Amino acid sequence: MDRFDAVVIGGGAAGLGAAYRMAENGLSVLLIERGENVGEKSVYGGRIYTWVFEEYVKGFKDAPVERWVKKERLTFLDERESVSIEYSSDRTCSFIAVLTKFNRWLAEKAEDAGALVVSGIKVEDVKLNPTKVVADGEEIECDAVVIAEGVNPVLSMKLGIRDDWKPEEIAVGVKEVFKFSESEINSRFDLNSEEGVANLFVGYPIFTHGGGFIYTNRDTVSVGVVVRVDSAMKNRIEVYDIAEKFRAHRDVTAFLKGGSMIEYSAHLVPEAGIKGVPDTLHKNSIIITGDTAGFVMNRGFTIRGVDFAFYSGILAADSIKEAMDRGDVNSAGHIYETKIRESFIMKELERFRKALDVLENTRFFDDYTKMMVGIMEGIFDVRKESNRLYDVIMEKTKGKKLRMAMDFLSAFRGL
Amino acid sequence: MESIENRLGLVSFTVDSEPHIKLKEEKCDNCNLRICLYVCPAKLYREEEGKIYFNHEGCLECGTCRIACPEDLEWAYPRGGFGVHYQFG
Repeated sequence: MDRFDAVVIGGGAAGLGAAYRMAENGLSVLLIERGENVGEKSVYGGRIYTWVFEEYVKGFKDAPVERWVKKERLTFLDERESVSIEYSSDRTCSFIAVLTKFNRWLAEKAEDAGALVVSGIKVEDVKLNPTKVVADGEEIECDAVVIAEGVNPVLSMKLGIRDDWKPEEIAVGVKEVFKFSESEINSRFDLNSEEGVANLFVGYPIFTHGGGFIYTNRDTVSVGVVVRVDSAMKNRIEVYDIAEKFRAHRDVTAFLKGGSMIEYSAHLVPEAGIKGVPDTLHKNSIIITGDTAGFVMNRGFTIRGVDFAFYSGILAADSIKEAMDRGDVNSAGHIYETKIRESFIMKELERFRKALDVLENTRFFDDYTKMMVGIMEGIFDVRKESNRLYDVIMEKTKGKKLRMAMDFLSAFRGL
Repeated sequence: MESIENRLGLVSFTVDSEPHIKLKEEKCDNCNLRICLYVCPAKLYREEEGKIYFNHEGCLECGTCRIACPEDLEWAYPRGGFGVHYQFG
């Protein structure tokens, strides 16, 4: 096989960002994807933050956007009731997309720019001195490698670039997709055709680290639950049933009645924020990006990763280009480290370091969720006599006020 | 409720003849935790007469078992072109 300036491993957002950018910069680049179709192994909840793509992808207006997020809803869910907070706006900074379709679109962009994208081939190994990628019994020589293998860092661990995730650093997400007509979704969620809602849920059915989600696509709805692996282990949560339990809740099922399920999926999500990013992100000219590098940020009410992944691919590409221009391709890794540390990705992760401690606190997922619902019930449950707000709050927070004050202060500071 | 079997029936797979995840029988036999039985989102691990079995058909390739298993599970992605084909990932 021909020699390439760079080989990219993985056709998700990170790998496609790297391949697209390198091809744009005139490098010869081969992207290898293990799935039969490029991008088909990616799974996420549903939302992508726009600006990186708007800034870096030519012709972004043709992207396969399902709906623009115009409504953000956070729901505290107890077994039989819920409390929701909704923010609605005519402006938007994010969109809902089907990631597998979005990846395919990015792959077309990369190919148009001159990258060679092959799928259905799994990379078995990466070798150093000289740099080679082993796939399908062939060795492909190259100057640099971008590892965008996703959340299971099989090759990166083998190369000693990063350690594996611990159960407390990662969550498992399960997702069900339901088919409707576009107009049904519009009326059910009170939306116009271009508009979408991102709804995150805390509490039921897991009442621990994680939560549920609903995202409206154009004519499908994505529904699911994410739970941290250590919590699933500790609480013996039957992960294969949590999406079902969540969906069966009256306040979730109301959105889905009459729709038919068309897909079920599962994927891991890095949840350790900055603590999940390893100290080194490279070995010589071999660079790790996206989920492999832990570039995901969870703030509880939003989760962000696809734009980080894509942008880390861009930075990997630029680092390789710079190193090659210097005539010292082995410096690509160092250049990348510097670029990443100075980038908005690490600044964001650093800024929300304290969010990790807040989200570690299971009281937010259990006690406070139930308390919030309980207070609302106390106010609105009117029989012969009704309750005063003050009395309800005093009763529901009995013996917990100091701890609560401290927890909420930390939440305001951290999130 | 949709059973997990019904839900997996909605997913498109190209199943390889060889499993990509392999259990180490003695380790599973001696394992008391058996976390795999409940954390696998596809419920592909099952216990029969004290032994653990895994069915690679229907694997969603998430990696949860790899992270949760206290033993050294022999875990790999399926060969290129095989495994799950998500349409709505």
